[in-house]
Amino acid sequence: MSNKIVAKKVSVFYGPKQALFDVDLNVAEKQVTALIGPSGCGKSTFIRCLNRMNDVIDICKVSGNIEIDGKDIYDKSVDVVQLREKVGMVFQKPNPFPKSIYENISYGPTIHGIAKDKTHMDEIVETSLKKAALWDEVKDRLDQPGTGLSGGQQQRLCIARAISINPEVILMDEPCSALDPIATAKIETLIDDLKSSYTIAIVTHSMAQAARVSQHTGFFHLGKLIEFDFTDKIFKNPENQMTQDYITGRFG
Amino acid sequence: MNEHIVKSYDEQLSILKNTIAKMGSLAERQIKDATEAALKQDQGFADAIVGKDDRIDDLEKSIEQQVVNLLTMRQPLAIDLRETVSAMKISSDLERIGDLSKNIAKRSRHLDQNIVDDINKNFSAASVKVQKNVKFVLDAFLNRDAKLAEQVWYADEEIDTLVDICMNSILKCIEKSSDGSGAAACSQMMFMSKNLERIGDHATNIAETVYFLVTGDYLEGDRPKGESDIVSGQ
Repeated sequence: MSNKIVAKKVSVFYGPKQALFDVDLNVAEKQVTALIGPSGCGKSTFIRCLNRMNDVIDICKVSGNIEIDGKDIYDKSVDVVQLREKVGMVFQKPNPFPKSIYENISYGPTIHGIAKDKTHMDEIVETSLKKAALWDEVKDRLDQPGTGLSGGQQQRLCIARAISINPEVILMDEPCSALDPIATAKIETLIDDLKSSYTIAIVTHSMAQAARVSQHTGFFHLGKLIEFDFTDKIFKNPENQMTQDYITGRFG
Repeated sequence: MNEHIVKSYDEQLSILKNTIAKMGSLAERQIKDATEAALKQDQGFADAIVGKDDRIDDLEKSIEQQVVNLLTMRQPLAIDLRETVSAMKISSDLERIGDLSKNIAKRSRHLDQNIVDDINKNFSAASVKVQKNVKFVLDAFLNRDAKLAEQVWYADEEIDTLVDICMNSILKCIEKSSDGSGAAACSQMMFMSKNLERIGDHATNIAETVYFLVTGDYLEGDRPKGESDIVSGQ
């Protein structure tokens, strides 16, 4: 098991306020790493560092070191657009473009110049939708707006959009919090399938979801990484009292 | 241990723990009483013991329902999960202890006056040790004491030795009786002492469960076992 992402002493400041404190965390390649913790603990802030989403916030400053495949992603030479091609993201609220289902998927490959011609683009759209387990439900209405799909379908569309440019890492920030249990189950099945090809980091408020989908779990509290271990260990017998209190619902 | 944010969750867990405690003390009592009924050959007392087993069975059912409710309603994790799963396991061991004690009481009704003092003395010694182990393992459960659970686990070997001594004295008695008159009672005694040994094994099971409950780890290594082939069948 090798580490796709190695983060060392990562601190994040929003203006004068420090949101993350010296976080050391590794994300294993082609496995699922879950980040849990109460609201405002810094877990989303952390995964947003992994594709430099925090760059768009003016007052946000990131220090420390984050390497993907041994390369510092905050190095001056790094092209952020290329970084995000490699590190895709799915958000809490499904956010399809106000375009057709087809265009939602083809948008990325077009921007990044991935498709050779129309046939190739058709292939990419089909494969991406198939990988996201959405193809069968939408193949006859690819020209219809993505926003017309159900919430669960929209989220799978966003996952399809993320994988259309063939990323290596997928970051998911509470991807199921707006979905019903059936749609959630579909996304979780999808995460299981995707991990054979992609490295996944997922932020979730659902303990059960973290336990089901991930192999590693990190517990954050007040901007610090309190405990990081195999998921099995975290949910059966965590080392840290705070972790135990949080996952058993004893947090005061 | 901090309290749960949801108060009723704490209440449910505490009721579960109390039910185990209640079931445990009944089972412990049954071993003591069954032994006494056997030693005194008191049939009326033996009947009463047989009748009391239903109460233990009812508590097992109650624990099973409580556990299913907890799993459904709370999806317990970490210590709560170990607590819930352990309760289910311990209750099934206690139920078996109840059955085996009931069986000792039942068999004691077929004893006659021929049981020699030597056998009674050895049977009583084995039973006292078994009762001690059951008591200690229940204390270990109530006080979340992994060390004590481990001691009980190791102490099972002594039970095997005492049961072995008891069984040998029964064998000797059968060999001695030239006309075979005591053989029927002696074979009842044989089963009764085997029951004691099996109760000891259930106490060992509970010790393992308590150890897991407290530490999250498993007791490593082979189970302690008596050397004798008459007990272990090896």
